[in-house]
Amino acid sequence: MYLGLKEMRHEKLRYTLLSGVLLLIALVVFMLAGLANGLSNGNRQAVDTWQAQTVYLNKNANQTLSASQLKLADKSKLTGNQVAPLATLAGTLRTTSNSKKTTTNALATSRNSFLMPKIVSGHAINGKNQILISAGLKAKGYKIGQKVRLGTTTKTVKIVGTYATNTYMISPTVYTDIATLNRLKGAPITSGKQQTINGFVTKKSQFKTSHHGDLEKISINTFINKLPGYSAEQLTLNTMIYFLFVIALAIIGIFMFVLTLQKQPLFGVLKVQGIGTKHILAALLTQSVAMALIGIVLGLGITVGLAQLMPAGMPFVINWSQYGLYSLALLIAAVLGALLSWRTVANIDPAVAIG
Amino acid sequence: MTKPVLALQHITKQFGHGHTAVKALTDANFEVAPGQFVAIIGPSGSGKSTFLTIAAGLQTPTNGQVLLNGTELATQSEKARLAYRFNEIGFILQSSNLIPFLTVTEQLKLVDKMAKRPFQKDKAKTLLAELALSEVVDAYPNELSGGERQRVAIVRALYNDPSVILADEPTASLDTPRSIDVVERLAKEAHQHQKAIVMVTHDQRLIGNCDVVYRIEDGVMTRQ
Repeated sequence: MYLGLKEMRHEKLRYTLLSGVLLLIALVVFMLAGLANGLSNGNRQAVDTWQAQTVYLNKNANQTLSASQLKLADKSKLTGNQVAPLATLAGTLRTTSNSKKTTTNALATSRNSFLMPKIVSGHAINGKNQILISAGLKAKGYKIGQKVRLGTTTKTVKIVGTYATNTYMISPTVYTDIATLNRLKGAPITSGKQQTINGFVTKKSQFKTSHHGDLEKISINTFINKLPGYSAEQLTLNTMIYFLFVIALAIIGIFMFVLTLQKQPLFGVLKVQGIGTKHILAALLTQSVAMALIGIVLGLGITVGLAQLMPAGMPFVINWSQYGLYSLALLIAAVLGALLSWRTVANIDPAVAIG
Repeated sequence: MTKPVLALQHITKQFGHGHTAVKALTDANFEVAPGQFVAIIGPSGSGKSTFLTIAAGLQTPTNGQVLLNGTELATQSEKARLAYRFNEIGFILQSSNLIPFLTVTEQLKLVDKMAKRPFQKDKAKTLLAELALSEVVDAYPNELSGGERQRVAIVRALYNDPSVILADEPTASLDTPRSIDVVERLAKEAHQHQKAIVMVTHDQRLIGNCDVVYRIEDGVMTRQ
């Protein structure tokens, strides 16, 4: 400890530079993690608020909601107490004058279903052609009582309530009932059990019999992973993060190794004086952990600062437990990096210091 | 004469095997008692460094025994020899064995840190004053003159209260007046603190202050 810290104090430039490199790596890790979280959240927030367990889709839909088509009547094939029909429409929300247009994802379910979001202001849907909008849309200027158009039709719907910030596949959500959505879609059947929907979302349910036609049961996690682009996006960002851990390890390892080679004569002198491999290695470990800590703490600070400055449209979510885990991974990389010089330190022959 | 602290008996060190074998030391005998300042003098390549590395337990002899306070060194484990070097031997090396990123005081603090004991402030102060270093206690080695550096090395060697101090060409990087100063101080410390000090040198002029002189040539050691 003593040796390691005193050397850092004396060789400020050298160790500041490496701490700086580690800071940059930590910063990139935290930024990527924040973006991965933000994108993940933007994709799945609506799904997460459902707190559902299983989803039923058409088995030919490749587990993708928008590709699945079922009928309301298919509900009879399922048993369970909270089974909600779900229909979606990726559509533009626009004012009747077309002065404002926003890409949204409209989600429809039955009026009393557990999927319906908790109303923050206004009231729940209690009649035809009513919609609820999420906070993000309210912030854009859409108001309760306003008549708006959704999708490409000229039919108007009325905003009757708002709920908390909510997105699905990066777009803010709009909720309505099944019949209204089918009217907006221009579906041939807009009432009764023969209406088309995309799937059923449930908390606890199962198939009534083994004859369940085209229905396929998938877990909510599978459903999320099958959201278009979701897995690819997460995998890409996470792979980048994992590579950064390896890069951090390599940088610390190489730097410490080169320093060790440079300091071989000094280490020889230390060994002559009875200060052995253990103490020299402890000094290297102290230094790499100290540099990693400096990098991580500053990296976290800058990340939090940057998060405040980011434009609202940038999906960025800080997940502290994940940041804790990644910080730990960077620390472990630093420790492993320092340990790479173990053999070199152990093999330094103290006799070279004499004669 | 008092019992020797360090004794080398019938030491032979051979490098290589068969007809490429080189004998660096042949049947060397040596001893030093507390309070003695002993010089080992010889030209370069005579086996002086081999002698020192064996006395310090850095190399094991091919034959013979190294006894420190009556214990044989060769039979000890690597770890025990490391502890032995730390506790029982003080080193003063050719150029300097100071750590470049520690101040003079910190060089001494490090010794206490390694021994896991609090800093012996008074002892440090006294020793530094004794070697006229009170003015430079907060200086780094590169801010010191060559003579000061070697004096700090002497303080560092004395500070841990070793049984023996081994000095390997302590004046190699110094001019004559400074060399004589350093050697005089070594002699004084040996007598004043009852330390056994062994100085290896090639410089004939420096042996005036020594109590005993060994001459070494082509691996053969003779007491003068």
